[in-house]
Formats: sequence, C-alpha cells, structure tokens
Amino acid sequence: MKKSIINTIFTAIFLLAGFTAYSQGYKPGDTAIDFKLKNIDDKFVSLSNFSDAKGYIVIFTCNHCPYSKAYEDRIVELDKRYKPLGYPVIAINPNDPAAQPEDSFELMKVRAKEKGFTFPYLIDEGQKVYPVYGAERTPHVYILKKEGKNNIVKYIGAIDNNYKDASDANKRYVEDALNALLAGRDPEVKTTVAIGCTIKVKK
Amino acid sequence: MSIKQIMLITIAGVYLFALTGCSAKEFSSKIDIVNFDQLEPLYTKSDNVLYVVNFWATWCAPCVKELPHFMEVNKKYKQNPNFKMILVSLDDSQRVDDSVKQFVSNMQLDAELYLLDDIKRMNEWIPAVDSSWGGAIPATLFIKNGKSLKFFPSAITKEELEETVLKFINN
Repeated sequence: MKKSIINTIFTAIFLLAGFTAYSQGYKPGDTAIDFKLKNIDDKFVSLSNFSDAKGYIVIFTCNHCPYSKAYEDRIVELDKRYKPLGYPVIAINPNDPAAQPEDSFELMKVRAKEKGFTFPYLIDEGQKVYPVYGAERTPHVYILKKEGKNNIVKYIGAIDNNYKDASDANKRYVEDALNALLAGRDPEVKTTVAIGCTIKVKK
Repeated sequence: MSIKQIMLITIAGVYLFALTGCSAKEFSSKIDIVNFDQLEPLYTKSDNVLYVVNFWATWCAPCVKELPHFMEVNKKYKQNPNFKMILVSLDDSQRVDDSVKQFVSNMQLDAELYLLDDIKRMNEWIPAVDSSWGGAIPATLFIKNGKSLKFFPSAITKEELEETVLKFINN
C-alpha cells in the first residue's frame, strides 16, 4: 500500500516534469523530434526523407499573418540559397483552420503556388508538432543540425531584424546562424524574439 | 414639399451634425509614434499608478476581439488616480493616418495611445517588456512603480482583466 502511494507520487512528479518540459518547448542544444506531416502535394513529409541534408530550416508560418506574408519571399530565398548547401526549408502551418479559415490546407496550396514556394509546406494536422517545438508565433524559425541520428536545435527565432524591408535589415539572424554552422561553428546568436501572430487554436 | 417636411429634414440634419460633431470632439484619436526608449518611461514611473499596457495591432484578430473588454474596464476605472491604461499599437507607422486612426475611432479606443515604431530593435525591447515574452500579440503587462506584477503573453478575458486590475490596484 505504502509502496503504491510512493509510486503514485513519483509518477505524478515525473508527469509534471514531463509536462513542464513539453509546454516550454525546445532550447538550443535540445534534440528535436521528427514528424510526418501532410505536404501541399498530398504526400507526407518527414525530416528523415532528406537523407543528404546536413540539417533543416524548420519554419512555422502560415497564410494569413502579415508578418508571415512579409517574409515569404525571404523564405524562398533562404531555401534557394541553403538547400544546395545541405539546409532545406521545411515550412509548417501550425494554425487550426477551424480557428483561422485563411490557413486551410486548400488555401495553403493556393498561396504556395502564388508565391512559388520551392519547399514543402506542411500542415500540422491536430496541432501535435508545434507545441513540442514550442513555437509561439508565426513566423518562428528552428534551425536543426543533423548530428549522427539526432537533429539538434541550433537556433530559434526570427529571420532578420526588419520585417518591413529586407534590404534595411542589419541583423540577418538565420543567415548568420547557417553560415556559422556551415563553417563548423555554433551560431553566436542562438535565440531571438520578434513580434508575430499567435498560433491559432480553436477554443 | 410642405413646411413641416422641410422643418423635419432641417431638424434631422442639425441633430446629425451635432451628433457627429460631438463624437468627433470627444474622440480625438491622438496617437503618438514613439520608440521604446520613449515608451518605457511612460509606464515605469514611481507614482503608485497601476499601468495596464496592452500590445496590439489592427491586423491581429485576437487583439481586436479583446479590445472592447479593455475599453469596458478602462471606462470603469479611468477615474481612479491609481489606474492608467496604455494601448501600444504595433502597426506599421506609415499606416497611422490611413488605417490606425480610423480603426481607433471606429472602435472608440478611449485610452492613452501610442504606436511603437522600433522594429529593428524588437529583439531588445521585447525581453525588456517581459523576459518570458516571445513576441506574439496580444500581450498585456500589469506594472506599478516600475515593478512588473503580471504579464499575459496572450489574449485575456474581461474577467481576467478585471480580476487582475482589482488584485493590484490598491496594493
């Protein structure tokens, strides 16, 4: 009887600790989970599909958010520039279309075609992936580096420091982080924050 | 057209004019464009006032949804010398005249209004508002005498807003 109570307490502590870690999301240095999410071509995509990649630029983004829209061209540029170097962009829409109809799977297809997306644009159906990563807003970038079988989080945050005007950004966080990784170094700036849209969850 | 009809139309016209003129007078929709160095001192004063600082934007649906609740609470407490509500728009400063002021007027946003135009330093001022803030809006800070009392990095209900005001206003 006593033993079972102790067991229960330990289980509760364990669950609580697990929940806390879960709700806080990743920090640089953590190992990121892989996922299997539906792409706009109706095929499922996982990080492990990219066997030649050195890592990934995972970007939580969406159709409706003005900040996401402002960065679309820059996301395409990042993919064009860094995919050949081993870091492809993997975009994930974390929003529930029931809460934000503009972010429906059908409209993701439309938007990707309009903007000429060169990368997978996945839907986080059931919203299971973004909370594990700890994405809080769109756009929200996670740069992962493949180390053995693991994908290690190396950078979390914004793309650069001027959403309005790319040419006026004087801090290009994602490019700097990728250039450091490609040179065999860890990024100097590992996390940044920026104003963005909340991730939409149906209440 | 009879005299009676003309009189009616005239009365209606005067009435409408008075109505719109009055609401325009009452509603100046003054928005100062500031950077963070100008904004921060406005809510970190040591004056025993509870500052409720809400960060929002016209394009942000959950912000727009909660603003009427903020107005209701502001209406109830704005006469209290220990209370001040500050709304900080994060809209594009180039759109202050063509869209933000119109929005403020339509929504009757009757609180102290600023537009924070400091986009290149987001990574500096977001953590200065609250170390836990990732930058998603809406976000609301409750602060008194420069001491942060509560920070909501998400939308809040009218009940949460009023409970938090009541909790801190007289302490």
